[in-house]
Amino acid sequence: MPPRQESGELLQGTLGILILKALLPGAAHGYAIARWIEDTTDDVLSIEEGSLYPALRRLEDRRWVTTEWGLSENNRRAKFYTLTTAGRKHLREEAAVWLRYSQAVTRVLRAAPAIA
Amino acid sequence: MSQTPRWRRYLRFIRPNVAADVDDEIAFHVTMRVERNIALGLTPEAARADAVARFGDVAAVRDALVAHDARRQATEGRKEYLVDFLQDLRFGLRGLRRAPGFAAAAIITLALGIGANAAIFSVVDAVVLRPLPYAQPDGLVSIGTGAVGELIALTARLRSFAQIGAWVEQTHPVDVGQESLRVEGAAVTTNLLSLLGVAPRLGRGFLVEEGRQGKNTVLLISDGFWREHFGARPDVVGSKILVEGVPFTVVGVMPHDFHFPHATTRYWQPAAIDPANLGYNWAVWDKKIIGRLAPGVTLARAQREVRETWPTLRPLNPLWDPGPAYRQDVAPTLLQDSVIGTSGQLLWTLFGCVLLVLLIGCVNVANLLLARATTRERELAVRAALGGGRGRLVRQLITESLLLAGGFDTTQLIAARITPPERSYRDSTRVNALYDALRERVAAAPGVTSVTVSDKLPIAVPVWGMALRVRGQYEDAKHNLPTIGHFQQVTPGYFRTMRIPIVRGRGFTDADRSGQPLVAIVSQSVAKRYWPNAEALGQQIAPPWDAPWMTVVGIVPDTKQDSLRDTSRTSVYAPWAQSTLRYTAEMWVAARTTGDPSSLASTIRRIVRDLDRTIAVSSVRTMDAVVDESMRKTRFTVLLVGGFAAAALLLGAIGIYGVMSYLVGQRTQEMGIRLALGASAGGVLGLVVGRAARLAALGAALGILAALVATRWLSGLLYGVSATDPVTFVIVPIGFLAIAVLASYVPAHRATRIDPVRALKAE
Repeated sequence: MPPRQESGELLQGTLGILILKALLPGAAHGYAIARWIEDTTDDVLSIEEGSLYPALRRLEDRRWVTTEWGLSENNRRAKFYTLTTAGRKHLREEAAVWLRYSQAVTRVLRAAPAIA
Repeated sequence: MSQTPRWRRYLRFIRPNVAADVDDEIAFHVTMRVERNIALGLTPEAARADAVARFGDVAAVRDALVAHDARRQATEGRKEYLVDFLQDLRFGLRGLRRAPGFAAAAIITLALGIGANAAIFSVVDAVVLRPLPYAQPDGLVSIGTGAVGELIALTARLRSFAQIGAWVEQTHPVDVGQESLRVEGAAVTTNLLSLLGVAPRLGRGFLVEEGRQGKNTVLLISDGFWREHFGARPDVVGSKILVEGVPFTVVGVMPHDFHFPHATTRYWQPAAIDPANLGYNWAVWDKKIIGRLAPGVTLARAQREVRETWPTLRPLNPLWDPGPAYRQDVAPTLLQDSVIGTSGQLLWTLFGCVLLVLLIGCVNVANLLLARATTRERELAVRAALGGGRGRLVRQLITESLLLAGGFDTTQLIAARITPPERSYRDSTRVNALYDALRERVAAAPGVTSVTVSDKLPIAVPVWGMALRVRGQYEDAKHNLPTIGHFQQVTPGYFRTMRIPIVRGRGFTDADRSGQPLVAIVSQSVAKRYWPNAEALGQQIAPPWDAPWMTVVGIVPDTKQDSLRDTSRTSVYAPWAQSTLRYTAEMWVAARTTGDPSSLASTIRRIVRDLDRTIAVSSVRTMDAVVDESMRKTRFTVLLVGGFAAAALLLGAIGIYGVMSYLVGQRTQEMGIRLALGASAGGVLGLVVGRAARLAALGAALGILAALVATRWLSGLLYGVSATDPVTFVIVPIGFLAIAVLASYVPAHRATRIDPVRALKAE
């Protein structure tokens, strides 16, 4: 995580990684991304769904995703988001940082004496 | 969640609608969640409540997204627009490079049209559209031109005007320091400045008492005169200037944008008005009378009052009865309109010409595009290219050129204006002695064949009409006297110098002096009008005032006097030496030479200076130059209209050539086939050119018809030729036919010369 980010934005940054990961299999609209995160985390990370969209805009601004209007699975007009090459690269780097960070934190928390 | 009406989505067809897109995106999300909740078994109300709860603050998210997307669209839109534009530009330039002829025609066409438009519009804007620089110019009315007596009577009677004033142009010798100049000025009523709503930039305006004889030796000078001759010194107020040798006190300087009545007016002096001087007040009809409308009075009401009131002044004239037609034709107009007058009409005409040129340019470009796009529309394109509009421009060009035909013989003639100061030449003996000496000395100058002195000079001096008494027909000045167009007093040698032939009788001689029988010479139409069945020589005529009868001793042709546009005038001439006038401020000396007349200029100046140093000599010019000057405005018009007509012709020619050669070029393949099948080159050429000529002839016929219809309204603007001038209507279509034939011949000829196989492959 970049050190300048505050805790409130930490979640945003995290949300960004989750969104990019959700888009890795292919283009998806906002609701599909929300459902994917919900299903994948068993609703543990209860994200306010409305916050997805400003996060998507920020990703778009950084050219990590592109958008286009298309038809949804039930034939409704929906805005689809697609991961760009730059977005894929960013996802890889951030994921590596995040994994190292979380593994380190996990190790610390697991170290003796045990908490529980 | 969208409260936005559905129709707003269709705005997307015009431009991306940021808010509608955001609403759609959020609505889609919430709807999907609601449907899933219902599928999971929730009631619709509960499903909706859950969906909204999961989403969070819908309104805040919506606003944030709309603001974000709008910002991005603004920046990206500019980028995209520029990219598109550059793309179009590159594409266009590529296209133009492939068709340089077309590109040149289109560029020249549009450049000419737009350039001419911009130039003319700036003039129209400055002259016609910009109001006069006076306070509330729409309240200023030009009432008419008349005598001081009429001014006084109208001021007393008219109720529609808050103020009535008058002015008259005058040109006097003015001495500033060591310099003696002839300066254009105006005598104005003392209320004129307040009437116009203008104040001097320096000093004061005129006082009421300065409008009386003896008190009127004060002067306002123009800003330009002040800067040129007084170095813009503020202490000019109070200084003295000699006007005709009489000292005038400068009381003020007018603002730099005060050009009344002309841009060349350098000084203003109060007109002295003496209500008791009936002779002068009713004899001189040259005062321009203007008024400012009283509050709440419309122009129409004021016009009606003037039209009704002015003719009722007829009995007031103590000198003669002006007749039943007196002031029946008064037509008060807004000062603005009367000042712009004919130049306004001229400018609008020019503007129309320019618009037509632009129109032709646009038609050209459209035709070329059309011809490139589809050859099926060829007839239409050619017909349009030959269409109406051009004919009338060309006809106007020819019309204006025809105007430059001359009146009398102006070659090898030089003239000078001399201004003897009144204080030393009130006595007619002295004046006659001066003119005799002047004629004698100029006649002695090398190359001079004849010389004359006259109170007027054709073309150079505005003419005055005059009422005339005729012995045995119109004797009583109180009756309805006929008027003649021109009265002039001349010294012997006038007709010889001007090369005006004496048709019958004799010219004036040195024997026609005061004390001898009074004589006159009339022009042919005067003789024809008053003595149609009798001998005019020996008849008697007289001016309307109490002057003795003059006997007609000679007859000359009618001549143009005012300008070359003037119709020939009914004229009466009298010998200067028998004049009943005591003094005339300015006289003209004219001399005819065998050599270059301009070489005489310094001789005439020197002779006058030797005779009397106080006499100002000015306007020493050859008669050709005088005529030239009088034609300057006409020539300007000819040049402009002619320029536009030439541009229109050129554009028309380019257009026809472009369309024709393109269309024939399209048939290269067909010609190749015909040649390959054994047709002769001449036969193919004849076929193609003949078809083009028929097409052009059809277009020309339509063009002539259109021009005949379109020029009907134009006839009011023409003089000298009819609106359907046959020369124009023959030459122009023939010219365009020739261009069309040439335009088809050149590419067709080229096509028949190349190998049929290559022609077949040509695209």
